[in-house]
Amino acid sequence: MLEVYKKKYIKPVLQYSILDFEGNIIESDNALFLNFKNQYVGDIHPFFETITSLLTAEENETVFSCIHLNIEGKAITADIILQTFGDAKNPLLIIHDLTSHYNNYQTTAQVRNESVINSQILELKNTYLKEKEVFKNSFIANFSHELRDPLTGILTFTDILSKTNLDLKQKDYIQILNSSSNFLKKMIDDILDISKIESGNLELSIEPFYLLDLLNEIKFNYKLKAEQKGLEFSFNFDDKLPEIVGGDAKRLQQVLTNLLDNALKFTDSGSISFNASLNQLRAQKASIHFEIVDTGIGIKEENFETIFSSFSQVSNNHSYKGTGLGLAIVKYLVELTNSKISVSSNYGKGSIFSTNINFVANSTLVVNKPKNKKEIKFDVSRKYNILLVEDSEITQLSVLKILASQGHFFLDIVTKPDDVLARISNIDSEIDLVLMDIKLKEFRGDEIAKQIRKLPERHQKKVPIVAMTAKIFKEDLKRYKKAGINDVLKKPFNESQLLEIIANNLK
Amino acid sequence: MKISKKIVLLGHFGVGKSSLIRRFVENTFSEDYKVTIGVHIFKKNVTIPEKGTDVSLVIWDLEGNDDISNTRLSYLLGTHAFIYVYDVTRPATYEKLESELNFLKEKQKNTPITVVGNKEDLVTKAYIKQNSDNFGRLTDFYVSAKTGDKVDFLFSNLAESLIK
Repeated sequence: MLEVYKKKYIKPVLQYSILDFEGNIIESDNALFLNFKNQYVGDIHPFFETITSLLTAEENETVFSCIHLNIEGKAITADIILQTFGDAKNPLLIIHDLTSHYNNYQTTAQVRNESVINSQILELKNTYLKEKEVFKNSFIANFSHELRDPLTGILTFTDILSKTNLDLKQKDYIQILNSSSNFLKKMIDDILDISKIESGNLELSIEPFYLLDLLNEIKFNYKLKAEQKGLEFSFNFDDKLPEIVGGDAKRLQQVLTNLLDNALKFTDSGSISFNASLNQLRAQKASIHFEIVDTGIGIKEENFETIFSSFSQVSNNHSYKGTGLGLAIVKYLVELTNSKISVSSNYGKGSIFSTNINFVANSTLVVNKPKNKKEIKFDVSRKYNILLVEDSEITQLSVLKILASQGHFFLDIVTKPDDVLARISNIDSEIDLVLMDIKLKEFRGDEIAKQIRKLPERHQKKVPIVAMTAKIFKEDLKRYKKAGINDVLKKPFNESQLLEIIANNLK
Repeated sequence: MKISKKIVLLGHFGVGKSSLIRRFVENTFSEDYKVTIGVHIFKKNVTIPEKGTDVSLVIWDLEGNDDISNTRLSYLLGTHAFIYVYDVTRPATYEKLESELNFLKEKQKNTPITVVGNKEDLVTKAYIKQNSDNFGRLTDFYVSAKTGDKVDFLFSNLAESLIK
């Protein structure tokens, strides 16, 4: 009985065949495939073609695992064993059908490989995005740096030109030149700020300052601007606001002026209101609520998020000029203080931007008063020798014009590192101050400063050195100090900034 | 006389070995990735006009592996030429190229190896130029199984070199 069942239900998985040494099949049990006998094995499937060269080998068993065969319309996955005997006995070919076993393996391998490939692709995408971000930020930083030299030229010569004899029309033109170049400077500063923020290089500098003085100064400027545009301007500063707070005054000013600029830009009629109130005073911390309300074009709710993205301006109306970075900078700066910026708007009627910013507030805070801006004076009985190390012709010309207009200076301009050291080492010509560009075509100014400080005593190694640069990240300033640079003049600069820094550093 | 040559394709999984063979043998391509386990064997005749002869290429499509030393050595027996395939978009598939090739040279001395960077359709020419040092100067062809670019040329060139 058992034999009957076996014959009925058994599924053969092995086929045995005997070959001659040319690869012809002499015998086969036809358990898996019929019609094997009397065929050249290479004609059955291309797999067998490549084993015919192994038929004459010494006694040996060669196993080929997991071979996919499709013979007589039947597809199987099998292990194939070729047994040679080496004593003129005919080789034996065994086909072991392991299709279901290998199908399971296939499923497992599919899942594993897909997951490995996907994670590799994801990792690559991340690397690519990071590289792109780094490239973008360094491109922006370098590009805005390159813009500063020509901008210094424009600002300086606009300044110089404004002091010449001009008729009214020409004075108007100068006014336009001035406001255009200041607008350009603001845009470059914005772009540089965004690149600093996105590369994580922007840090707040917390120091005590007079809060109300700052708010009043902003109010004064924007009241004027609003009125020039025919808008009403109101303000409300809470009496309870602390007089002195600890925070980053420069960045607070940037947040508020960016919001006010935004309100001014998008409001053609009606009013702008600027309010500040004490939200909370607890544990030596003051939370101050700032609010800017306008009756401008408003924002659709679906755009509340996008207005804070870099380079985004929701309005398609190109009459609203700007980089679209102002609100992005506001958002980043506010978030740096662990706060949030909120917006609510009635589309077509106006918007309200508000935020609560935390400041340090306690009675021990003392403001380090900035040095009173005294009139810049030079000793008229003598002339000063200034060595300018700069290869930008525009900056050379700007410095030359500013110093020449004073009549107190001899200016010597050099562009090569050897010339700098030669001038400093020359005992016959005393140099009173070095103005040193940092990023020159052939060398770095801070490297030369280091070499100057290493000169022998008699070679004016202690000459004051003032760096002129747009690169003033924290780590840059540290590097300049370490190189022995006394002070840093930020590019672009104007006449009074240059003269002031020279006066401060002359011995 | 009929000339038959065994060509074995190796390389990491997912680099497109099966797709290259399918493009060459059937002139088809599918975006779906189906993992190869073990070996699939294909056959195609290539005519070499200058020699006035046909070569029957028996092409072994081996299971992809991230370490070539795990390859079953029986698969390599009697091989006339190897095609080592990597994916130009995935560094993991070409980072160890040199040591993988050394393994093959050690196991099958004197068997020629053609190195192929697949999926060139996914990158620009500039990308290939920039990364050519990473790919190794050993790469013979940049091909695309998807577009078919240089696939026929790869196999017919190999067939021709094998009957010289």
